Formats: sequence, structure tokens, C-alpha cells
Amino acid sequence: MKGVLLSGGTGSRLRPITHTGPKQLVPVANKPVLEYAVEDLKEAGITEIGVILGHKGREEIQNLLGDGSDYGVEITYIVQGNPLGLAHAAGCAKDFVGDDDFVMYLGDNILKEGVVDLVESFESGDFGAGIALQEVDHPQQFGIADVDDQGNVTELIEKPDEPPTNLALIGMYVFSPAVFDAIEKLEPSWRGELEITDAIQSLLEDGYAIDSHVVEGWWKDTGKPEDILEANQLVLEDKSLRKRGTVGDDATVDGRVELAESATIEDGAVVRGPVSIADGAVIKEGTYVGPYTAVGPNSTLEGVHIENSVVIGESSINTSGRIVDSLLGKGANIGSADDFLPEGRRLVVGENSQLKL
Amino acid sequence: MHIITHACTQCGTVVSANELESNRVMKCPGLDCENVLRFTDLDQADQEHFLDNKASYEL
Repeated sequence: MKGVLLSGGTGSRLRPITHTGPKQLVPVANKPVLEYAVEDLKEAGITEIGVILGHKGREEIQNLLGDGSDYGVEITYIVQGNPLGLAHAAGCAKDFVGDDDFVMYLGDNILKEGVVDLVESFESGDFGAGIALQEVDHPQQFGIADVDDQGNVTELIEKPDEPPTNLALIGMYVFSPAVFDAIEKLEPSWRGELEITDAIQSLLEDGYAIDSHVVEGWWKDTGKPEDILEANQLVLEDKSLRKRGTVGDDATVDGRVELAESATIEDGAVVRGPVSIADGAVIKEGTYVGPYTAVGPNSTLEGVHIENSVVIGESSINTSGRIVDSLLGKGANIGSADDFLPEGRRLVVGENSQLKL
Repeated sequence: MHIITHACTQCGTVVSANELESNRVMKCPGLDCENVLRFTDLDQADQEHFLDNKASYEL
């Protein structure tokens, strides 16, 4: 079994964060989303991983993952170039995959339970493909699978008006090499892409059994800022958090807090977990860091009240204001305008930024 | 759709034909690899197939 990890896409819904890097490297609980995927594949016993690259962030992704040895895996990079659809991305991995089965994992997705059960379910029978499904409240908004009593997929329907089930495809797949013949026969869809659902439908029509696995734990597509915040909450809720850094005698630290070795919580600061504070970060006097916040590396917080937020890193925040439900890009600095006249906020805001003042 | 790729002979990075064709001559995108990749590195049949169906690779 091999892994194919999709790391292309423009990340347009995550702008301006993605103006300077790929969406797969946005951190959740101070770890790039893509690393969760690599670890999930490794946990499933998959150590040969093909990483599909688009136009954006090729060097950053290669810099992070390298040859995979830091993660105990072996990585081959596959440059898809134009985003011609998931099936095209899979097709680009044909020579890498060879005669093996493979897991196809969307690199901006994160799920609680990993892919071990998905892989085991696929390997328990003779399937052309296996798909991960999750029950959703509004199936009309998703690609939906109909399944029989044995869990075999009988039909895939994109955003049905009258959904036969509430089981949505969540973007995790296992394929046999038969999928490459199906992809070879595909034509672009109405939206001009080679659709992976069309490839699975083709396998069904060719008589292949398609396994399904219903994911019970949470799953998040981290495509939008609010998704990053929610994923950050979910991971911090589940993650084992360790305090290794320095905590001042007169600092207040409640709940579960991950404090990296070179991070500091100074006297007079209050941190209430679950919180993650990365290396080189300093939480100074008069600062409150509330639940579900991740403070990225080399950031300094002073006097601010911040909660349910992600500070990606290299930031200086020394306003006395309250920051909630926010995603702050690398190097974003927020100071105080209290002593400035005329009174008012002073902003230097990049293209596609979103502010609520 | 027939998907055509080429693997760098030095670092193993795989590059799709549409990427090769749009650049014609390019430095291998593999990090720290100095190899030069060309559209003409593809088999003659693959080059012809790609060029005959170029529109479908520019969806």
C-alpha cells in the first residue's frame, strides 16, 4: 500500500494567509496540516508517499517534508501543475503507484481517527476502491453515496435533491490500480475537471466492488479561516499537551497547556488551556491567553486578551484590546493606538484581508 | 484522459506533461536538483498525443 497526498490548489478561500504560502502548511495546534496527513499514513503502515504539488508552495512543501526521513517515510514529489481535478492528480501518480493499492489523502484535510480503519476495511475484501464517508446534516450540499447492507457502495450522487442517504464523501479514498484504467477513460466534467467521483462511478459500472467506511470521529476540511479555528479547537481538545518551557512563579496557568521548551509565560500573565505555545514565544505580563488558542513560534504577546485564535508565528501583539476567533498570519503585528491622535485605528491591511472592528 | 508524466532521472521527481509543455525547458522542480527537463524528454508518441490533444490538458 502506498500513499498519495494531494498538496496542490490555490487556497483562495484562505487568502490573505495563502498569498505567501500553500494552504497545507497553515498550522493547526502549531503543526502544519500536511504533517497530520503524513503521520496518519505512517500510522496506517504506509511509508512510501507521493506528494502531489500544484503551482503554489512547491518549495515550501519540499522544505518541510524533505525526503520524508524525519517522519520515517520515503517521499516522492509529483508535480501536477495545472489543477485539472483530483482524478488528474491521481493519474499523475500512476508510475509512482505501480501495481500497488494506494490511499489518496487530501492534504488540507484533518481527521480524528486517521486512515487505519479505512485501509483495514479496504483490505478485508476484494475491492476496486474504498471511500470514507461521514454522516452529514445537509446531504443536499455534498457528494452522497448510496450503500447496501454490506456497506458496498451502489451509487454516487453529487448534491442530490432527494438524497438516498446522509453519507457524504469526505475526500479520503483507497484505490486499487484499476482506477488508472477508469481515469484513462474519463472526460472532463461540466466544471472542466477530471472528477474522482466519475472514476469511482466508472469502477462501479465495470463491476468492481466499492467499499465504504463511515468515519465516526470528527473530520475537517481546513479550506477556510473558520475551518482552521475549528480544527485548532478539535485538535487541542484531543491532543496530549506538555509543559516544557518556562513559567514564571507569578504566572497563572490553568488547564492543559502545551508550552514548547524555549517558550516563556512570564509573571503576571494568565494562560487558560487548552492552549499551545510554540518555541520562542513569550507571553508577557498583563496578557490573557484563553482556551483554544495556538501561539506560533517567536511571537510576543503583551497586554492582549486573546482566545480561540491562531497566531501563526513571528508576531508581536501588544494591544490592550481583545482578540477572539481570529487567524493572524506570519509576521502580523498588532500594536496599541491608545497614545495616538487623532484617535482611531491605524491599519496596513493586505489584499483579501478580513477585519471586523 | 491519457495522463502523461516524466520522472527526473536524477532525483525521481515526477512532472506532468502539461507542466513540461508549458515550460518546454525547465529546471527540475525537485529541491536542490539541478537537472534540466525538456518536453522532448517524453516519448515521441506521448509528445504527439499531448500536442494533438493539448486543449484537453488546459481544462
